[in-house]
Amino acid sequence: MTRDDIVALFIENAAKAAAEMHRVRSNAELNEVISKTTRGQGPIYCPGMTRKEKAVIIPEGRRSEDSAASTVCIDEALGAIAETGSIVLSSMGGKPVQAGLLAAHHIAIVSSETIFENLDQFFSSWEGMLPTNITLETGPSRTADIELTLTIGVHGPERLSIIVF
Amino acid sequence: MSASNKAIRFRENAARAVGDRALRAALSNAAGVFTVKREEAFQSTPLEEWRELASQTRLEVLDDLGAYVDRFSENASKAGARIHRAKDSAEARTIIGGILKERGIQKVVKSKSMISEEVNLNADLLRDGIKVVETDLGEYIIQIAGEHPSHIIVPAIHKDRRQVGRLFAQKLGCEYTENPAALTRIAKKVLRQEFLSAEAGISGANFAVADTGSIVIFTNEGNGRMCTSLPPLHIALTSIEKIVPSLADLPTFIRLLPRSATGQVITSYMSLITGTRKLGEATGASELHIVLLDNGRSEIARGEYREMLKCIRCGACLNACPVYRNVGGHAYDSTYPGPMGIVLTVLFEGMDRGHPLLDATTLCGACADVCPVKVPLPGLLRRLREERVVQGATPKTEQVAMAGFALLAASPKLFRMAQAAVSALWPIARKMATGRGVDYFPVPAKKTLSRRLS
Repeated sequence: MTRDDIVALFIENAAKAAAEMHRVRSNAELNEVISKTTRGQGPIYCPGMTRKEKAVIIPEGRRSEDSAASTVCIDEALGAIAETGSIVLSSMGGKPVQAGLLAAHHIAIVSSETIFENLDQFFSSWEGMLPTNITLETGPSRTADIELTLTIGVHGPERLSIIVF
Repeated sequence: MSASNKAIRFRENAARAVGDRALRAALSNAAGVFTVKREEAFQSTPLEEWRELASQTRLEVLDDLGAYVDRFSENASKAGARIHRAKDSAEARTIIGGILKERGIQKVVKSKSMISEEVNLNADLLRDGIKVVETDLGEYIIQIAGEHPSHIIVPAIHKDRRQVGRLFAQKLGCEYTENPAALTRIAKKVLRQEFLSAEAGISGANFAVADTGSIVIFTNEGNGRMCTSLPPLHIALTSIEKIVPSLADLPTFIRLLPRSATGQVITSYMSLITGTRKLGEATGASELHIVLLDNGRSEIARGEYREMLKCIRCGACLNACPVYRNVGGHAYDSTYPGPMGIVLTVLFEGMDRGHPLLDATTLCGACADVCPVKVPLPGLLRRLREERVVQGATPKTEQVAMAGFALLAASPKLFRMAQAAVSALWPIARKMATGRGVDYFPVPAKKTLSRRLS
């Protein structure tokens, strides 16, 4: 599969899992999407650790340093898996993996070159001691515990937006 | 589940369940939804190839279970986890109670774990004054209702939205609603506070990876992620047969488990947790204890029922079983219901208690057809039925009847005499036993088939 095919497959499968998908090619486009998707929402948390996280512009007065008290969490995923439409989060390098779980809206930036074609390739990419936490996140939080009626947003976010950059 | 050795009253439980209209509506809805979603999820996938691979991997671990447990333990320890081995339920409870009491912990959040049901953990902790809060929505519903799960994947499947609405209004003091989304929001609000204030989290594990010492947890709600990483202390309770050799084995099980359980390609969240929070990390518990439960598994792995331990607890056999679909999980009065549950209950809790469940099967084979790891359930059930006879666990009347028949069937002379006696005594027997089932029997023929043909 070519890189474009892998990206296209990831976008298709993540959308099937009810993630909202966006594709951007510049910091300006990135911030345009962020500004649109977070309009009218509460405090925004962004760890600002990676180059792309640093490029995120948060409007005056809306930045929050406390992930547990934020409505929106914007961070960059370690990578993604096209086969399942999952983004990959990890505790490597001090990233707060659970920040995107506590917010009602998780916005994840995925660099297109970090998308794996399938689960096998993803798991064979790890060597040596693993980070404490590796999490695959696929779509928003959900339950069907009452009469098997699908309900979105139980303990985790009710919205997952993925921006492929 | 129960410490009692008294035989499970399956017939009585089933009769009651069949008379419960709300239960039957819920079950038939669930069976239909699950069956369709599972089939759709496996469409145009190499399912047979995956099943074979998964089955082989499970057997490889069972063949050398002791060595795999050692390997997992060693690698998990290297990553910072403390390993505890529990030979039975009582030991598992003592270990977990001990860890919590030693640290003066008063409140624990818990994500769904069937092993914790198997060892009956919650009741013990509550007795010690430790507040245990179930955080999976279904588990939370049955916890506040004071019940046990009736399905291993959707524990509150026996309750409809009105029952949940009334329960929440009564126990949580909220206004009555029967809207599932509103009920979910109510539970989320209550439980978020519990997560942020809990001193410890208890979880199960769907798999444990020997080569890396990691545990793997699948959840849809996100409660599993919260329980395992928000509190400073995490206790994972799992059983030894959940081990897979390496990370390379995970893709096959990820492809099979959620598809078989809920018809999803993958659950919303899947976490791989390896040891405790390391230097420079901002995620993970600072203390991790992994309790590995044996409870007879080492012995089962060496015996003729070893293939049962391939089971990955997806629940597909429950949804496919014509008996489960009609009576639901509570009728089995055991931790694990359905076809897999019958075998596990007899193996874990003994023939004396479990044997009535061996009648809770038609041996139709639907369970084996949907099993993602090829557990030969009908064969195991048949073998246990034979063992029940050998052990003399069948009812006395059945034993006498079978002994009598064996006597007659072994002697042509006695057999003919018995046939003649039945014909002669039929009118009298019929008069005496009218209304007690005898009306359904056909009238004995004047001449036996063999005499008519000769």
